Amino acid sequence: MNYPLKIQDEVETLEYLPVKEKDEARVTIKNTTFQVAFQAIDAHQLRLLVDGRAVRAFVAQGPGEKHIALNGRVYRVQEIDVAQGRRRARGLEEAPGEVTPPMPAVVVRLLVAEGEAVVRGQGLVVLAAMKMETTLKAPFDGVVKKINTALQTKVMPGDRLIEIERRNAS
Amino acid sequence: MFKKVLIANRGEIAVRIIRTCREMGLKTVAVYSDADSRALQVLEADEAFYLGPAEPRQSYLQVERILDAARESGAEAIHPGYGFLAENPAFAEACRQAGVVFIGPPAQAIRSLGNKTVARNLMSRASVPVIPGMLTTAGDPRVFAREAEQIGYPVIIKAAAGGGGKGMRVVASPEELPEAFQSCRSEAEQAFGDGALYLEKHLVGSRHVEFQILADSFGQVIHLGERECSIQRRHQKIIEETPSPALTPELRETMGAAAVAAARAAGYVNAGTVEFLLDQQGNFYFLEVNTRLQVEHPITEVTTGLDLVRHQLEIAAGRPLPFRQEELRKTGHAFECRIYAEDPESNFFPSPGRILFLQEPSGPGIRNDSGIYAGFEVPVEYDPILGKLIVCAETREAARRRMIRALEHYVILGIKTTIPFLIDVFKTAEFIEGRTTTDFIDRHFEGWRQDDGGADLARMVYAVAERSKTSGRPEAGPMAQGRPSPWKTLGEWRL
Repeated sequence: MNYPLKIQDEVETLEYLPVKEKDEARVTIKNTTFQVAFQAIDAHQLRLLVDGRAVRAFVAQGPGEKHIALNGRVYRVQEIDVAQGRRRARGLEEAPGEVTPPMPAVVVRLLVAEGEAVVRGQGLVVLAAMKMETTLKAPFDGVVKKINTALQTKVMPGDRLIEIERRNAS
Repeated sequence: MFKKVLIANRGEIAVRIIRTCREMGLKTVAVYSDADSRALQVLEADEAFYLGPAEPRQSYLQVERILDAARESGAEAIHPGYGFLAENPAFAEACRQAGVVFIGPPAQAIRSLGNKTVARNLMSRASVPVIPGMLTTAGDPRVFAREAEQIGYPVIIKAAAGGGGKGMRVVASPEELPEAFQSCRSEAEQAFGDGALYLEKHLVGSRHVEFQILADSFGQVIHLGERECSIQRRHQKIIEETPSPALTPELRETMGAAAVAAARAAGYVNAGTVEFLLDQQGNFYFLEVNTRLQVEHPITEVTTGLDLVRHQLEIAAGRPLPFRQEELRKTGHAFECRIYAEDPESNFFPSPGRILFLQEPSGPGIRNDSGIYAGFEVPVEYDPILGKLIVCAETREAARRRMIRALEHYVILGIKTTIPFLIDVFKTAEFIEGRTTTDFIDRHFEGWRQDDGGADLARMVYAVAERSKTSGRPEAGPMAQGRPSPWKTLGEWRL
């Protein structure tokens, strides 16, 4: 089975071929093949033997990605649907016309109103988190279709704060 | 001794204070905001009182609510921790008037040392060397220009009501001065409610060396040695160590004596820290006094065997210091790393959110003062410090390696932390040689990225995790539908 896996901006495809027992496999990545044996220690811990070398890994499932810790380094790994170039995993798809915060934050300023025309890059809403502020901007030209939030509301990634309907600038 | 103490703080420091109180047989009262109803300080205290919404001004800074909690619970003393109301003279005064003991110095000492120019004057009169510069504030930028000409650029403009690295700006040349003056003034007004400014010489490549002092109410003042805090980012400390690689026994004695003189000059009681800058020629200058227990106090504790919170409580209860300066011994070498919920690859963007998995390091010489647990939702409203990792070993090199091992074993998943960055700092050649100055991070870690040698191994782990069902608990619910992504809409960050 093939896994196209993205870390930061880099996608590499890993080929996974189970070998006899369920806890062994031949893994190929970047044209190199490794013999991998593994033990699931508990829900978050794995021990791997990669060509005989012991590796201790910790894993947690996040939204559409796994958080993996290896000896002090932490990686966020996403499985990609290569044909569509978007994140895959249980039907996750991007809805780019919907403006959402990158992290839990508080709405401190609303810069637009429903029905207002906006251009790409225009500021829409200002969020505050941990004593810093950031402005979410329009991803393309369009019209503000709906504002689903209000001042002083606490917002989370995934919340649809503002919906923009794409419209070409006339 | 008090029977019950209220801890007017949150997170790791509240937990740390509660621990000593518990060991001394004292009852503890925690306070919490909406964001902290399940925080560790609430879980560990004997009682907990609700203060209000998450925003500090509506909870942890609410003097009346905190005093009400003390009254209702019968707490006889309040420990303010650090930050929030710890250095607020009005709060110290309000405690006194409410008949509750404030565990810290007298309000008057907090007030005079809290104003940086008043403090400089105090020190100057006590013959403690101060950084060349203004001893009073001024509102006219031309005064600043004249002073700067006299002492020589580069200079640094500071807020008199500021401290802790906030409200300051380095000025490299006369052209930059007017703008720096204006923005410093408005920042100071916004952050501290007071726009008064003064100017000092900027000592490039200096070390930040501070001395821990303890003073009882009988006039006894001692110092517990120094802490070197030169590894900083934007004037915020990240790594601290003791002893300082730059101090000779003679310099230690001289600076220690100056720290004690500084504390006496201010009429100081309880625990405090006198901060100095040490230049490359071995001259030291008074920087400021922190009238509270500091974040980095554990490295002093692990090298002296003393519990500073215990001594704070005893001093506040009217007991004399149980030891003299000559009896104090320091052994070993200690480091502390502040662990922040920040993304070091994205200019240290704050990274609040839910901790999905946590494994704290352990072993000989390892101490972890943290305020988190797996499943805790790190709030957005507060400073992003998750905790402090402290190690102690026989030598500096042994302690350095111990810290690297401890950091590598510290697993926090679900939010971004500074752990990978800290590991790299400890491996740098200059760090190994002890050449730590306040511009260390700027010089060596501009645009740092996590070394990606392990990326393919992480991919292997992903595949194995998928196959073996070791993937933690998958998120349910809204993930099934189309999900908006923030990345096309994100602008820049600013303070």
